Amino acid sequence: MLALAPDVPSQRAAQKLASPGSWPLTGARAGADASAAVAADAGGGTGPPAALWGECRGSAAVPYRTAIDLSGPAWQCSCPSRKFPCKHALALLLLWADGAIAAGSDPPAWAATWLASRAAKASRAARDPDAGDPEAARTGPANPEAALRRAAQREQRVASGVAELDRWLCDQVRQGLAASQQAGYRHWDDIAARMVDAQAPGLAERLRALAAVPYSGAGWDGRLLAEYALLRLLTIAYRRQDELAPPLRDTVRSRIGFTVRQADVLASGQPVKDRWSVLARRDTEQERLRSRRVWLRGRESGRYALVLSFAPAGMSLDDSLTVGSCVDAELVFYPAAVPLRALVGTGHGEVPVGAPPGGTVAELLAGWAAALAEDPWLDSWPAVLTGTPARAPRPCLYDAAGHALPLHPGAGPCWPLFAVSGGIPLTVAGEWTPRGLWPLTAWDDGGRAVPL
Amino acid sequence: MSTWQDLVTASLIGTERAEVPATGIPGWPAGEALGQDGRAGHTASQDGLSGQDGLSWDPAALLLDQAALLTVARRAGRTADEAEPLAAAGPDPRPVASPAAGERLARILRGDHPDLLAEWLRAAAARQLRVPAEVLPALLDRCRRAGPADPGLRRLVADAGGTRARWLAGLNPDWKWLADLSPDPAARAADAGTGEEPGQRATGARQPGDAWRLGDIGQRRGYLAALRAGDPGAARDLIAASWAAASASERVMFLRVLANEPGLVPDQPGLVAEDEPLLEAALDDRADDVHGWAGYLLATLPGSALGARMAARALRSVTVQAGTQGSYLVVRPPAGYDPALRRDGISPGPAAGRTSLAEPTRLVLEIVARTPLRTWADAFKMAPSAIVALRSGTWAPVLFTGWSRAAIAQRDQEWMAGLINEAVSGHPPGTPSETEALSQLARRADPALGGPDAVPGPEPGVPAAVRNAITVLRFRFDMLKELEDDHSDG
Repeated sequence: MLALAPDVPSQRAAQKLASPGSWPLTGARAGADASAAVAADAGGGTGPPAALWGECRGSAAVPYRTAIDLSGPAWQCSCPSRKFPCKHALALLLLWADGAIAAGSDPPAWAATWLASRAAKASRAARDPDAGDPEAARTGPANPEAALRRAAQREQRVASGVAELDRWLCDQVRQGLAASQQAGYRHWDDIAARMVDAQAPGLAERLRALAAVPYSGAGWDGRLLAEYALLRLLTIAYRRQDELAPPLRDTVRSRIGFTVRQADVLASGQPVKDRWSVLARRDTEQERLRSRRVWLRGRESGRYALVLSFAPAGMSLDDSLTVGSCVDAELVFYPAAVPLRALVGTGHGEVPVGAPPGGTVAELLAGWAAALAEDPWLDSWPAVLTGTPARAPRPCLYDAAGHALPLHPGAGPCWPLFAVSGGIPLTVAGEWTPRGLWPLTAWDDGGRAVPL
Repeated sequence: MSTWQDLVTASLIGTERAEVPATGIPGWPAGEALGQDGRAGHTASQDGLSGQDGLSWDPAALLLDQAALLTVARRAGRTADEAEPLAAAGPDPRPVASPAAGERLARILRGDHPDLLAEWLRAAAARQLRVPAEVLPALLDRCRRAGPADPGLRRLVADAGGTRARWLAGLNPDWKWLADLSPDPAARAADAGTGEEPGQRATGARQPGDAWRLGDIGQRRGYLAALRAGDPGAARDLIAASWAAASASERVMFLRVLANEPGLVPDQPGLVAEDEPLLEAALDDRADDVHGWAGYLLATLPGSALGARMAARALRSVTVQAGTQGSYLVVRPPAGYDPALRRDGISPGPAAGRTSLAEPTRLVLEIVARTPLRTWADAFKMAPSAIVALRSGTWAPVLFTGWSRAAIAQRDQEWMAGLINEAVSGHPPGTPSETEALSQLARRADPALGGPDAVPGPEPGVPAAVRNAITVLRFRFDMLKELEDDHSDG
């Protein structure tokens, strides 16, 4: 049952949830042959398939509603998780396997609707064997025509959202940014919500982050203008995407919020084999979603990679890449003008390694400039430097040539970095951003990686 | 020629009221926004902002497009700053504590068993290990919050943190207190000889003994503690000579320095037999605090006359009797309070709300707590573990609490182990005072008791007090093992 889980944290989360106490309402319907239906692919055609449903009490006011078609198996849940199946579906399956769900009732209306549409699809699939792939069933219409129609619809929605954002951006500059400081976060939340409606979540996320800019200290006006300007550049690039080289077009579309399925990345990307040093890790949480960014660098290729993972608030994130270790693995990169984001394909054990070779400030800035030339929206760039922290004229890290980069004000006073250094050069990994260097890992004089 | 700042200024005011600065960007077509993509008015008309022909453009769009170009150009063209280097920290020859030990210290600082911080630091210093550098900021912050009220903790941090901690403290005014402490025990002893400590140099005291003659109570304590560490007899003589002129709070300070309370100087023994006459005389002190401390300290001094007096009282009150179901204890409280009890440090009436026990019960508790533990084994001819298991009816909580206090004050590991085993496998604590006593025992007993085989694991259904005590013992066992492991690795 747990083999269906997308990752280990999901398994753990599901096991926690798999107690009858978390589920005020559950029910099951036997199919033609419920036990065989799970194993056999095609349960459709001979009456309603076996199914499970339940309402799970979560942190939200409204319970999450989870329904499972055991003939697929296929699942649907009202929770916001991006994992598939989510922990609720897994937990429901575990409960069912424990015999904790009474069979024989009729599904409530919300589950019945979905199950009915599943059954209809299944009978269509029985007639058209090519469309029987459960992956296709979950992502939408089971025939290519409908898929194209859906994609075109989304494209249309995004296009009108992008046009609206363009007008909104110009309005801001026409009326003057000075007003933004009094506007409050709703100012950006409203336009962000409209971008969500327009199915452009990437734009929405960028806009929501802007609410903090007017309170980010001196120079906020310049930072806000820069963000608005880059957003307008993104709207223009989207409108003119047909003129762009494919990698840049992928970058633009991913920043707008079009996602590429992991399966497609793995199927189409060239695996890059290397021994990857796990440089640094940074966790953030927003909108009750925790995300983890893990930076890697190939020891042979010198190539950087970024591995993202997500978990709902309160759940643990994927712990498999340990900072300071080295993993022998094949990575597959998402298509982009500057390919950084990657999936770990096959990998073999982690072994601890010492400090990676650190670069100079000049090398970092040259790499950053070259990357910006490919992707002007890039706002963080992996940094591995050999340097010494200093406090004046402002907190910074300087290299042997005396070239200094400021530390990111959001990273705080960075006392642990200073403590590990003791005024002596050390290797530091982090993210370089337009506001400064965000130090994430330092290697002490014993070669031990210290997360900062 | 427009600059970035011109664009920012114009965007703040708004293009309704401000001119868009003329572009100074090389290759930029005059009066065109990017969105127009070469076809006159295409984008603008699409967005409903159109004018008539190719010259039509929205000033706001033009400003944003110029800003986008300049933003990327400025980011890509970023150059390095300059820094003012810091002096490097001095070397620390000691090996660093292991990552596991450092992680546990970080956990303690995050609030997991925070009261074991001093024990971690003391154990690390005793093994000549330094604190992993990345934990120092949290450690210094913790000490800052603890405040000067806990000079012992600051001293421990300074010793375990070493040169790196001092270097770091120099960067942050919040940690200035550390720079004011002298660097290591050897230097402190030297300071004591000359009467100079860095902190006193700052106040202008230069002659030997100035800290003693002119300093405040904190400086006098520092001077006296350093003297006691180097020459115990000289410190005792200095106290005797200064006694009459000192205030009550200073006299308490003298006694605490003699007993090395609370761990002012790591690895220094406390009282010695030669201190007894001074303490015995202090029993006649007018101030309650002073003779209270004297009584408490004398009870911890092996072979003291006060201990013998307490033992006599204790054996009058607590006797062992043989019964059909084995021996049991009979307790007869003293008839009443008498001045001799006051002289020996047991004050009349409930001591500042510390106890809610009735008076006879309280007297038994205070007497047992001050009685040398050897008394019981000698009189009853039994091992401590057997004595603590004797039935005593309703007096059991009083005796358990009293023995626990005595075992902690007299640092008697055999009794501590016996009491803990009795609470874990015999009779679990039932009163708040027993619970508190067990909690203290778990923090003072030999941490070997927390080893995997020493104490039975917490079974389901055991009272919270017992489970907590076992948790503390296990935590301390693991903590010391982590530090020990480093030691053997070198």
